[in-house]
This record gives sequence, C-alpha cells and structure tokens, in this order.
Amino acid sequence: MSGMQLPVTNESGYYEIRLESIGGLGANLCAKMLGELGLKYLGLNSASFSSYGSEKKGTPVKGYVRYSRAEDEIREHSPVEHPHLLGIFHEALIEKNSVLKGSRKDTKIILNTSLSPEKAAEKYGIPISMLFCIPAQKIAIESHSRINVVMLGSLGKVMGFTELEQLNQICKDTLGKKYPSAMPGNLEGIRRGFEEVLYGASAENTEIQNEKHMFEEEGEDCPNPEWGYKTAPIGGINPRPGNSVINDLAPSRQGYIPVFIPEKCINCGLCDSTCPDMVFQFQKGTYKGREMMVNKGLDYYHCKGCLRCVAVCPSQALVKGLESDYPEKKYFMPNQDLLRAPDYYVETGADGYITSESFLTEKRIDGGEV
Amino acid sequence: MEKQIMEYASGNEMAAIAIRQIGYDVMGYYPITPSTQIAENLDIMKAEGKTDLMMIPAEGEHSAAGICYGASVGGGRVVNATSANGLLYAIEQFPVQSGTRYPMVMNLACRTVSGPLSIKGDHSDVMYLLSAGWPILFAHTAQQVYDFNIIALRLAEQVRLPVAVAFDGFFTSHQKRKCHRFAEDETVRNFLGEKKEPYPFFDFEHPITVGSYMNEPDIMNNRYQLRLAMDEAQKVLPQICREFASISGRSHQAVEGYGTEDAQVLLVLLGSSYETAIEAVDRMRKQGGKVGVVTLNTLRPFPAKELAEICQAAETILVADRQDTYGGGGGSFSIEVRAAMQRYGSTVRIKSLVYGMGGQDFFVEDAMKMFQMAADKEMYGFGNIPDDLGYYHVEPGQNWEAGSAKKEDHNFFAPLTEDKTKIGATQVIEEEGKLTVKGGTINATAQMPKRLAPGHGACPGCGIPVNLNLLLRGIENPVVLLFQTGCAMIVTTGYPKTSLKVPYVHNLFQNGAATLSGLAEMCYRKQEKGEMPKGEIVFIMVSGDGGLDIGMGSALGTAMRGHRLLIFEYDNGGYMNTGYQLSYSTPKGARSSTSHIGEHQFGKTFFHKDMPQLMAAANIPYVATAAESNPADFIKKAAKAAEYAMHHGTAYLKAISACPLNWNDRPDTERSVIEAAVNSCYFPLYEVEQGKTKLNYDPEKTNKKIPIEEWLGLMGRTKHLLKEEYREVVAGIQEEVDRRFVRLKEKSEHPLL
Repeated sequence: MSGMQLPVTNESGYYEIRLESIGGLGANLCAKMLGELGLKYLGLNSASFSSYGSEKKGTPVKGYVRYSRAEDEIREHSPVEHPHLLGIFHEALIEKNSVLKGSRKDTKIILNTSLSPEKAAEKYGIPISMLFCIPAQKIAIESHSRINVVMLGSLGKVMGFTELEQLNQICKDTLGKKYPSAMPGNLEGIRRGFEEVLYGASAENTEIQNEKHMFEEEGEDCPNPEWGYKTAPIGGINPRPGNSVINDLAPSRQGYIPVFIPEKCINCGLCDSTCPDMVFQFQKGTYKGREMMVNKGLDYYHCKGCLRCVAVCPSQALVKGLESDYPEKKYFMPNQDLLRAPDYYVETGADGYITSESFLTEKRIDGGEV
Repeated sequence: MEKQIMEYASGNEMAAIAIRQIGYDVMGYYPITPSTQIAENLDIMKAEGKTDLMMIPAEGEHSAAGICYGASVGGGRVVNATSANGLLYAIEQFPVQSGTRYPMVMNLACRTVSGPLSIKGDHSDVMYLLSAGWPILFAHTAQQVYDFNIIALRLAEQVRLPVAVAFDGFFTSHQKRKCHRFAEDETVRNFLGEKKEPYPFFDFEHPITVGSYMNEPDIMNNRYQLRLAMDEAQKVLPQICREFASISGRSHQAVEGYGTEDAQVLLVLLGSSYETAIEAVDRMRKQGGKVGVVTLNTLRPFPAKELAEICQAAETILVADRQDTYGGGGGSFSIEVRAAMQRYGSTVRIKSLVYGMGGQDFFVEDAMKMFQMAADKEMYGFGNIPDDLGYYHVEPGQNWEAGSAKKEDHNFFAPLTEDKTKIGATQVIEEEGKLTVKGGTINATAQMPKRLAPGHGACPGCGIPVNLNLLLRGIENPVVLLFQTGCAMIVTTGYPKTSLKVPYVHNLFQNGAATLSGLAEMCYRKQEKGEMPKGEIVFIMVSGDGGLDIGMGSALGTAMRGHRLLIFEYDNGGYMNTGYQLSYSTPKGARSSTSHIGEHQFGKTFFHKDMPQLMAAANIPYVATAAESNPADFIKKAAKAAEYAMHHGTAYLKAISACPLNWNDRPDTERSVIEAAVNSCYFPLYEVEQGKTKLNYDPEKTNKKIPIEEWLGLMGRTKHLLKEEYREVVAGIQEEVDRRFVRLKEKSEHPLL
C-alpha cells in the first residue's frame, strides 16, 4: 500500500472532514468508518472522534475525521473548524445550529436532502459550486440500509480519493460480523450514495449564490456569554425558573407530528398524561354539557414527535402526520402558562450526555435494529 | 522486537486490549464517564469468549475499589477504571491499597470533578491522587495508554505498589488513532512474568494479618517504607521502560520534550495538549521563535531532576494546568514544577496558567497564544492577583458594568404558589388513621400546572418527564425537588437554562436522600422557630438510572431515620445517563453495554433488585409502586405518598420508567410496554401502607396475566431471550417473578405478613 497524495491539506498538513447530524442517524459510526478507511485502505494516517456528549436521539452530533500523509503524526485533538468536506445528515440542522460554520470556498458540502442542488442552494444559501445533494433518507428506506452508509458512499465519492470497493470493505469490516444479514442492504446503500450524489453547478447556474451564512468573519472562539465570572450568580445557581421553555425542539422531530382533530376529541386527557414534553394545553371548558378540562391545542415548539399521544388516544383525535404536509399547524397553541412569549425560541435538539458505546447497537430511525 | 499489529483505536480501547492481553484475574468496577468504555469493551470480549476476566459490577466506586483490594489481597492480578467523582468517592481506599502494599493497576480517564457537574475532561481528579502513595503514569497518546498499562503492572509488582495510568478523558480516551499492540498475548505475559506473593494470604499453614492497628513510631516507619518503595519505583522505572522498548521499539521517558535544546520559552503541560503544542512549536519555529514544549509521563514519582535538566536552556517557562489549587498559587502541577526547578537551583522565570477546565478545547492557536503570554513581560492582569498566576479564557459576561437586567425580566412563569396548585382535584382524607384518596382523575388533574417547564432535553418518548408529571399532578402542596445525578438532572438543568419551576437542588447520587434529609429538617426547624411560615411542603428526592444502587445506603439510612420526605424512583432499569450499563434493576438476561450477548454470555446474569421490599423492610409508613399504564392509580398513590411524607415519615414511591433509546423500542409503544411489564407481574402494582401490603392490581383476576416472554419480546434489549437457546434463562426469570408475586399476594391477603 503506497502512501497517497491528498488533494488539499491545511497548514498542519491535514485533510479534514466534519459530519453534522443528530443522534440516531449514525454519524458517529460514519466518522469511525471514514477514519479507519484512511488508515487501513488509503495509505494515510488518520484520526476520528465525535462531539462529546451524545448519541441521544435527536441531539446534535458532530463527527470529525483527520487524514494526513502516512508518515506524519496527527497531533491535534481539537474539533475540525474548517472542513474540506462537510457532511450534513439532517437538513433541519442548517440555519439552526450553525452547521456551516467555518466552511470556506473550497469546502465541499454533502447534504442529505430530497431537493435538487439548485433548489437546496437557493433555500439554504449555499453557493452551488460547493454543494452536493443526496436523498439519503429515501435511499436508506428503499435499500433497507441507514442514512449513515448512504452518506458514507456520497462522502467517499465527493472526497475523490477512494474507490467504491474500499468503502464496501470498511463497511464489511465494521458491520459485517455483527449484522451479516443487513450487509446486502448496506452495500446497496453505499453504492447508491456513491453513484447518485448530485453536483448541480454548471456554467449556467453559478449565479445561484446566497452567501448569507457563509464566509462571515468569525467571531471570538469563545464569545462573551451573558453570564461570565462577573455576572453569573455564584455557584452556578440559576435563578430563572423554567427558562428552558425558550428551547424550540422541532429539530428533534424525525419527520412526523401528531395532528389534532378536535371533533373526535373526548377530552379524556390521556394524551396529556403520556406526553413527556408538556405539549397539550388543557383549559377549563365544557364538553357535552359537562364542565371539565378540555384540550385547546398543542405546543409544537416543544413536541419532539415521539407520537406517544397518538398511540394512547382512544378516539383517533390524534393521528400521525408527515410534518411536511402541515406547513401551517392547526391548533398550534404555545404553552399557556407563559407570562409572556419568549422574544425568540432557540431551535435546538434534545441535549445530550451519553458518551458511551451505544453505537455498538445500530438502530434504525424507527427504533428497530439494523 | 516482538511482532505487533496495527489497531485503529481510542485510549479506552487500547486500555481494554492491554487488560485482556495481560490476563487479569479480577476487575471491580463501577461505570463513570469517560472511563466506562474500558469495562464495556472488556465485556464485549467476555461475551465473545476472548477473556475470562472476572468482572464484578460494584454498586459504587467505593465498593469497586473494595473489590479490587480484596482480590489483590487474595493474590490476584487486579484492575480498575474510573474517573472524576468516582475516584473521589473511592479515595479512602487508595492509601489502604498502597499502605498495605498490594499491587494493582487503575486506569483513570481524567475528568473534571463536580460540582457543578460536568462530564468533560480536565485534571482536577488525578491531582487528588498525588498523596495516595500510588505511582502515577500519565499517558498523552492512546498508544501510551496501552504501553503504560503493561509497564504499570510490571512496576506495581516489582515495587509492590498500586499504579495509576492517567490520561485525558475524551481527548485521549475517546479519539481513535493509529496504535500498535503486540500480536501475541504471550509477549505481554512474558514481559510481566509470574506474579509473586511475598506473603500468600491463603496459606493456612502460615496465616497472616493484613491491616494492623498501628501507633507511632510504627506508622512513621510504615510510611517511610512506602516512601522508599516510591524511590525504588523511580529507580526501576527507566529499566522497565528500556526493557519494554526492546520488545516494542517504543521508548518512554519520565520527561519528554520537543524543541527543548535551544528553546528560550518553554510550555510545560500534561496530556493530549502536549501533542497539540508540538504543532504550535513547529509553526512558531518556522517564524524563528525559539520555543519548546515539555510534558511528564510520570507524575509520581515526580521526575524533578530530569525536568530541571530538560528545561536548562529556557529563560521562561509557562506551566499550564487543567486544574487549580484555588489559592495554593497555581495548579498542583505548576507548583510541583516550581518546586523541582528551585530544588535543582534553576533561576528560570516561571509562570502558571490555569486553562482548559471542563474539557475546553485546546487549539494550536491556544498554544501559540500561551507562548506569547510566556514571553510577555506583563501578564494576565487580574487586579491584585500576582501576575505570574493566570486563568486562560475566562469571560466577564455581558454588560456587567451596567448590572444585570431586572430579575422579573427573565420570568416566563408566575411562581407556582399554593393558590395555583391547590386545584382541589385530588383530596387525601384521613379517617381513623387510614388514608383514602378522592378524585385524582386524569381529566381533572390536567388542570395542575406543570412543575417542570417544557424545552427540556430528554429523548423523544422518554418516560422520566411522564412519571414526574404524573407524580406531581397528584400533589397539590408546594414541592421542593432534589434530583440525584441521572438523566432527569442532566436533561432539565443544562446551564444556563433550567426546566425547574420550583425550588430544586442536585446532589451526587451517593448522597441524594441524605441531602434532602438535611434540607427538609432545616425547613422544619425554620418553621418551628418562626423564621418561615408554617405550611405543608412536600420534599421529594428523585432518583433513577440506578441511582438507588450507589445511593442505596443513603436512601435506607434516611428511611431508618424516618425524615418526613418522599423518595421517588423512576426505574428505567439501567445506568442510562452514562450510556446504559447494567444496574441492579436491569432485568436478568437484558443486554446492556456491560452485559453483552455472545456465545459466552446471555446478558445480565443476576435478577432485578427488589427495591420496594428493601424499603418496606425499613418499616417506613408508605411504600408503593406505580406505572404510567395505570395513571389514575399512579396519581392517587402520589397524593398518598405526599401526605405520609408531610406528616408521618419517609415515603417511597417507585415507577417503572421507559427509555426508548436503551430499551431499544419505539417511543410510541412505551405505555403498552409498561402495561405488559405490569401484566406479566414483573412490575406488580402494590402498596405497603403502615406495614400492611395491598396488591392494587392483580392481572390474574382480570385474565390479563401474560407470560414474561411477551414483555421481554417487546424490547430490543431482551428480545434475544425468546430464542430457543435462552429458554432456561426465561424460565428462571418467570419462576423468580412468580415467586415474588405469590409472596406479595400472600402478604396482601394476610395482614400479619
């Protein structure tokens, strides 16, 4: 295996990759496979790790990979700030979690989206010359694989210095023994990711540029927070009861929401008893002539789309719906106990803590095993 | 040179590989981030039959260290792995281990010490170990983690001291890199040789006493022996390293440097930052900067002489510490560097800098800035603090000159005073010493304002907020909450936000119940002295994620003392907050990250803990179990438990709590999974009220009883048990569940039982 030449490197001599995802999509494992690929099959030295915190479902997760020439040491341990290759596993993360931060004109961005490169470039303000699109979710479902292997295929293709066969091999090394029956699906997922990733830039459309997020002068590495050593209440005390309410947890949802059909509601309250996220807004009212608590609506800011409520509803007043079918959510009612509406909601995923090997059990999006 | 194999692995993985190759006898452990993966990886190897290491999951680090001590006294090769508060919880055991001279090895994936709680890496834990009489090797690469694990045991057995192998949590423990290991386990075992026991414990012909009571001067002499052993360690370590180099090709010195020969400015630091700083040295040397970097591979014994030698050429040294002694004049490491330089007559200018605590990332640019700071005449400039002691990267906060905004500006919710929570939906009536609950319907209690705000970070479908909301629906009095460490705490109190709308305190999970005892008694005392209005407040401790394993002693002690408070357990059957390791309440046979399934292991090997019966044995006035599948029953029990907690003594309520992530099932199925747990009698619904047991729901009577495998089959973590090969395991679980249930029924039917 001869040492190979990396197409571009940074000042330290690294080719750097960053993956932006949410827990549950397998970005952690994808980073590991890319790292091992470099070392085992590309004749490179490599290192990889994930953002510490979290394989929790719905939590923002970052994966980092560094390649260098085989003979060089990879000494840096810090996160990748200026990736050469940026994989975005979950479209909803753009705009919300500054996932594009640090990308430069030569960054290649691979986006999991069903949009065409033109549409995605326009929608997300990414220069089309940087953008590659792959409908990874759709391919994952069709091929009975997972988003991470489809993304692996696309990342490998766009990276430009690995063969499909090497990607297959690293996938077999990693998952083959543990999940042999899933291997045909996974290989199909990688192949389609490799072959179907779309690059949209051409002579005609290079003007599609909306650089609203990109190439901004970066702020301080560590911006001065509201609470610093002069201003924070001592001891880490938090005197602002319930201020987590300003978190908008929509990015935790994986495509589905509960849809409310009030005509069918019998106001039993079971939905409120099973909801972990205080979504249901019951108020005093009358139902069938009786004074009781009645369901006035749902606070979609805090709904994580678990669909527990749909499962317990005895009268089909709550049904599972594709979120994209409901751009205007009827019966959207923000938390009724609020004294005042927050000035803004911070879009965020569930926060994470898990630091363990939960990737050892690969899970599908729907919670089942691979 | 012996044959080696390349691995792409993290520090934790390399530690596990070394442990397997060494062929240890016993590992006593308790999971704590970021060291947990070591036990997890070893458990996988066990399941696959690659090691016969006996792994004993203690109920806390203190016990884990005790297990290790016992096994080492028994003559075994023994290993442990821990971090942060785990180290501190076990700390009294470490001088015992060294003072009685029993070798073992402990891996320490360094992490910041609570509180406020953080899981990220710094060196505030390892510095507590400096006076424990343990040699401490500090690895700055995953490769060194492997090498040092092997060297450590050899050293330990040669000088008869326990040895710690420390390395950066996450940066080294979790990042995967190219590493090498010996191809043959024999290579490692030959290097170590046979273990020798100078005083075999199990020699009944020559019985020995370990752990005498001693007065002075014997203590002085014993301690001096320990000191001599440490001197011996200093002497033999280079020899051991040379021998190791001859088989591995990798040589390790106590002190390591880069660019030190002619460096005028030196950065001295520990761990992975050393690697990053080398990159900075390369960059600065390209611009003509005469800079270098130094690190120590051994913290104990401290290589003072070697350090002074390597720093000879320098004019200025900046020692950067991921830890502080708070008033001691810099971090522990920097103080020791200063002492070493002084001892060897150096007049070099030394500055100390505290950086990177709580896992703050260290970029090449940071190292370059530090070189600047070292070279600057002036420094830091924090008021009256001497200018050679600084903090790197701290921020004053916004608008501090103008003062913070008014408190009210930040209130999103009206205070939950009694008038808001006394909705009259649930009443507890006391008649002739007996409590009955009226109302408590699901619809009526929907009026109860939630004590938890939305926007918390629990996983979609998590059972914890569901259970907390059901509990608090039934309690109309003001509440004070204490969460032990666990998912509930983590997901609700991520600074600078909190989901708590009521007074709340966190404490570590060894100590939640005791802390709440003190808090509640202070309230009652203030009320009695007239310093607080009389009123009925419900004090509630919330524990889960196995928090009543490590916190069992504290909870039982609190119950024995009979404080007026409520212990609420959300039982999700595992240490979910650290990535699902087995807890004592994990079902037998369930897969977890410390009970993998393989040819040699079927999952967890012992039955689930029966905590309600343990609490009942403390003879407290009220013990009950509840499940979200029976919400009306749940709310009534909450009301009753609160009443007992306010007026009679300690109450205990336990709810089974879904964890979609680690039960490995779909979030929307959780209520039916829990219903199945109840109907299979795995989780029977009952109460023990003033000593009398009452079964609240008997699925046999309603023809709803299901065999245990129907429940086990609903969860990914137990589904494998339905395979033919595990038939006996399932039969065993069924038998145990039935035995416990029949006994409950008997108790329920006979008031004297």
